[in-house]
Amino acid sequence: MKIHLDPRTKLYFLLLANLLLFFHVDTKTEVMLTILFFIPFFFSERRKTGIGFGVVYVILLAVEYGMVFLGQSVLQNFVSMVLVGIRMIFPCLITGAYAFSTTGIGEFVCALRRMGITEKVIVPCMVVIRFFPTVKEDYRQIKNAMALRGIAVGNFALLRHPAQSLEYILIPLLMNANNVAQDLSVAALTKGIGIKGKHTSMVQIRMKALDLGYMILCSLPFVLFLGGK
Amino acid sequence: MENRMTMLESRECSFAYPTMEENVLEDISFSVKAGECVLFCGCSGCGKSTLLRLMNGLSPGFFKGKMSGSFETIGMKAGEVPIEEYVPLVGSVFQNPKTQNFNVNTTSELAFPCENTGMDTERMRKRVKECAKELKIEGLLNRSIFCLSGGEKQRVACASACMLEPELLVLDEPTSNLDEKAIEDLRQFIARKKAQGVTVVIAEHRLEWLKQLVDRCFYFEQGKLSKVWSREEFHQLTIGQLYEMGLRAIDLKGHKEKIERKQIEAGEQTEIAVSVSELKIGYKKQKEVCTISSFDVCHGEIVGLMGQNGVGKSTLAKTLCGLVKPLSGKIYWRGKKASGKEMIKHSFMVMQDVNYQLFCESVKEEVILGSRGEQDYKVILEKLDLLELEERHPMSLSGGQKQRVAVASAIMSGKEFIVFDEPTSGLDHLHMEQVGEMLELLKEQGKAVLVITHDEELAADWCDRVVKLYL
Repeated sequence: MKIHLDPRTKLYFLLLANLLLFFHVDTKTEVMLTILFFIPFFFSERRKTGIGFGVVYVILLAVEYGMVFLGQSVLQNFVSMVLVGIRMIFPCLITGAYAFSTTGIGEFVCALRRMGITEKVIVPCMVVIRFFPTVKEDYRQIKNAMALRGIAVGNFALLRHPAQSLEYILIPLLMNANNVAQDLSVAALTKGIGIKGKHTSMVQIRMKALDLGYMILCSLPFVLFLGGK
Repeated sequence: MENRMTMLESRECSFAYPTMEENVLEDISFSVKAGECVLFCGCSGCGKSTLLRLMNGLSPGFFKGKMSGSFETIGMKAGEVPIEEYVPLVGSVFQNPKTQNFNVNTTSELAFPCENTGMDTERMRKRVKECAKELKIEGLLNRSIFCLSGGEKQRVACASACMLEPELLVLDEPTSNLDEKAIEDLRQFIARKKAQGVTVVIAEHRLEWLKQLVDRCFYFEQGKLSKVWSREEFHQLTIGQLYEMGLRAIDLKGHKEKIERKQIEAGEQTEIAVSVSELKIGYKKQKEVCTISSFDVCHGEIVGLMGQNGVGKSTLAKTLCGLVKPLSGKIYWRGKKASGKEMIKHSFMVMQDVNYQLFCESVKEEVILGSRGEQDYKVILEKLDLLELEERHPMSLSGGQKQRVAVASAIMSGKEFIVFDEPTSGLDHLHMEQVGEMLELLKEQGKAVLVITHDEELAADWCDRVVKLYL
């Protein structure tokens, strides 16, 4: 079974997760919400990623509680502090990964437009989203070229000669980034990205009962925590 | 004919980019009527691309420069009307397939112009389907741009340019990465558009496919419109005249026959450098795999590798060079089984985008980097006509010069197997010949040379043997 939530719902999860961190909620509420965040992830096309996050979260929790029985020492306090810190940002990681790995760019742009965000914000977002995979592709090509030239090959080359390796990667990358940016601008301009007035989306998104229900369900533990304070 | 609307009107138009002293366009006057199909030809750097930029509104607004005279596209004056007004009327296709699709998903790319003009969703969806069908790219819908071959990207770009049903189509070397079949599809498509009354302007080096399509042909020389031929006059140009003007052949029948022969006849066989047996290539995640039962390249031989877009030519080349692992099968170097790591040591690949292969601050450093010190770099530079450019920054060179610098570095590092990925795409005849001579030079040095190409002229005139890959 697959659950497909509206991108706005996903953004709401992300907001909630950040509020959790902000208000410093107790562990019980946090665990409850994390489980709630985990469920749609489990029923999405990125199930494996979701399970990975879930497993790490459970391990973090278990180790933290296990440490209580080991008594106290400076080192233990330090380790458990780090672990708690990591665990606390986990809701944000889960919701963020869920939102970005299960939503198409078209859907996101549509959601942003529906929320009344101006094209002045949307256009740069689209450009950035398009630009990064291109750079990644370029990087792969440059690495191939370096392998053929026999420069800085092997996994440790970057560590052994960091400055030199970086130079060999960065120079062609930057030289080309300029061209890539120019070509993409041209592609976007001639297709009317700069047209003033309403832009529509081919992808349609709709808030369903499930979205609303789940949003309320996720808000509950948080509201209860704030109320009980 | 006379009472048809004027689509393009250029009056004594000159243009200069701020970085250059000379004018790119000089005193150009012409007009194009609605429904005409016009070809712009001429050597690289003759100003035809700049003229196209004036047509689709990119210059002088986006590509800045100084303009004099006037240029009108469907009544819109270049320099006075913002590019946004051109969008619904002019569809543009550019040279570089890699960066001309703005969206990552192909379907989104088609929908993109419609979204920007505020078309409603239902109509947009219908239009995407229609347009995909018209350009025969239904199979490419809903894919990531990064999984498509250069030719496939180009076809998506063509479709996207037609989404708003423009009155004028401006194509800047649309076939530089297309195979024979894709070119034929494009030709039919343009013929249909022409029949619908759409005006088409094409800047192109490859002329054969346009033979029956063009109404007039403009020949540019150093920024000047030096000749205008009617279709009949264009057909009567002899191959000698064309080559003298730096243009490609109009009739490729002879070349195609030659390629057929070169597929069967083997040249004189010398020692085999690279060979494969039952090689299966592809990327793990993709389903499309190509199996090559046997294939070889000898020392001192130039082998042309041709075949449809997306059939796996580049993947085969990368696999042979050791950059991609084969899914199964074996690769041999001089008869001995070789691993990818060993193949990397023997091979070099001149990529289509050679910019990624140049790392140093001067041509001299570039060729010395990674060299094995057996040869004098000056001799190599001399042979490749680069000696005067020794101190120049590689990035400041022209495309052909960059290619030669990459080749020089390959020779210096003692590579024996040299692969070229589409070395002549977008080149005029003169520059193509230069590439051919470079291949010949490598051959004389006993290198095994493999050339991936769609270019019939290069394959027929310069390759010793041609291998075609089929799906």
